[in-house]
Amino acid sequence: MTRAHGVVALVAFAAIVGCAGAVSERRDGLDVSTLPADVQSDYAVFAQRCSKCHSLARPLESGINGDAFWRMYVEKMRRQPGSGISEADTVPILRFLHWYSVERPKAAAAAESAAAAVAADAGGSGG
Amino acid sequence: MTRALWGLLAIVAAITLALWSPPALALDRTFAGSVQVDEHIAPFQPSDTYGTQFFGGFTTELSGKIAADLSEHVSANVKICYGCHGFETDMAYVDLRVVDELNFRVGRFSPSFGAFNLRHDPANHKLADKPLPYDMGRMLRLRDWNMGVLPSPFPDNGVEIDGSHWFGDMMELDWAAYAISGFKGAESSLDLDFVQSRDGNLYYVDDNKTPAGGGRIAATFRLSPNTDLTFGGSGMYGTFDPENRFSYAIFGADAWLRAGRTNVRAEWLVRRQEFSDADPTQLKYTFAPGQNFFVKHGAYVEAETPIAPGVDALARVDGLWRIGDVAAASPLTNDTFVLRYTLGASIVLAQGVRLKLTPELWQFDYADASGRKLEASMHIAVAAAF
Repeated sequence: MTRAHGVVALVAFAAIVGCAGAVSERRDGLDVSTLPADVQSDYAVFAQRCSKCHSLARPLESGINGDAFWRMYVEKMRRQPGSGISEADTVPILRFLHWYSVERPKAAAAAESAAAAVAADAGGSGG
Repeated sequence: MTRALWGLLAIVAAITLALWSPPALALDRTFAGSVQVDEHIAPFQPSDTYGTQFFGGFTTELSGKIAADLSEHVSANVKICYGCHGFETDMAYVDLRVVDELNFRVGRFSPSFGAFNLRHDPANHKLADKPLPYDMGRMLRLRDWNMGVLPSPFPDNGVEIDGSHWFGDMMELDWAAYAISGFKGAESSLDLDFVQSRDGNLYYVDDNKTPAGGGRIAATFRLSPNTDLTFGGSGMYGTFDPENRFSYAIFGADAWLRAGRTNVRAEWLVRRQEFSDADPTQLKYTFAPGQNFFVKHGAYVEAETPIAPGVDALARVDGLWRIGDVAAASPLTNDTFVLRYTLGASIVLAQGVRLKLTPELWQFDYADASGRKLEASMHIAVAAAF
């Protein structure tokens, strides 16, 4: 391998990463600006603590929606060596997970029903 | 005898507590897993080194884990992995947790050693390969080195007692002590035989009736709400041969600074490895009586930081340094090293799916057959967690 090879490879790599950074709209976790104001600080604790050892996709995509299960699971994570999750941290983490897995789907379903009702009304009055 | 009795009583107490404890609440089983496919390109490697000194082409690492909470104090975990050498049981253990500070783990598991092993799953580290001290066959010239200091993961059969305690919200202390079967090797072996140590065809049982043992202690300090600093130390000792004549001792020290989503990790491992001196002709150098051992150091420093919403940049310097006699045919000397410089990017393709770009520059202190000391390689991997 020559030095020229190395320089070319390095420049190509930097270009790929730069482009990826510029166009990437995906993220590991949620866009905090889209969250309700009262949820943002809980999400911040969740994102900081739970991304130490694994991606945030693991809990967010797990499909779990029971508070009792989350309680048990977060306790298990807290006990992992070096987790950095204290007992006090579990309160905002569990509050966020409750919102994410219970309140948010409920609100989304209600909004969907309301939109469907509006659409039905509009269709009825328009006929 | 008294110690054994206390140990037995402790286990009986844990089982009794587990049987009395209330059943698990709600849903009590989870399934999780990951998959990574990695294309390893080493454009300047001679083609006759493929498959012997370097695994080029695609490799896949796959894992599936089921965790079951049997009660508030008892849980079971089974994790099956598929990798370069087929299927392996990475975990099959039961945890009997009396309190946070006292947990009994029995079965098959990777004993607590070092900081990296907790993140060994490809979904949990953002470069495509492992640091050299923990390398398990993805490095260049892997046969020359017989891989890293402690190839990760290192599942084994045994018992571990571990626990953790928080001092307020400022400091977490973790500890573990364990007895396991230990690594294996033939009486005439010049190093640990990692194939024999994990090969079911040679039986998943101890080869010398003497357990290996070790432990770990680590402290995590919360310096600010978003800044943690962890220091850890680990040790492991055992004999590997059927006659219990030759020992290995592994020590490790690690530090991990996490500030926001930026991580800086450093770890050092060293293994003092005894080997057979029965046949001096299989060795390259002569040594004084009692000097039939080598010392293998491994270390890495790694920094990882987000540079855009879905992009993390990484930089790593790692290496191995081996001091001591080698096999007669080995290209290594009795004082030899390799350094590797890695730049990396981890790009989110979708929630839970990452593209990992990992170019590496290798600096060996000895030339290969074509006279090269400097090598370059690149990993392109996609990893998904589910």
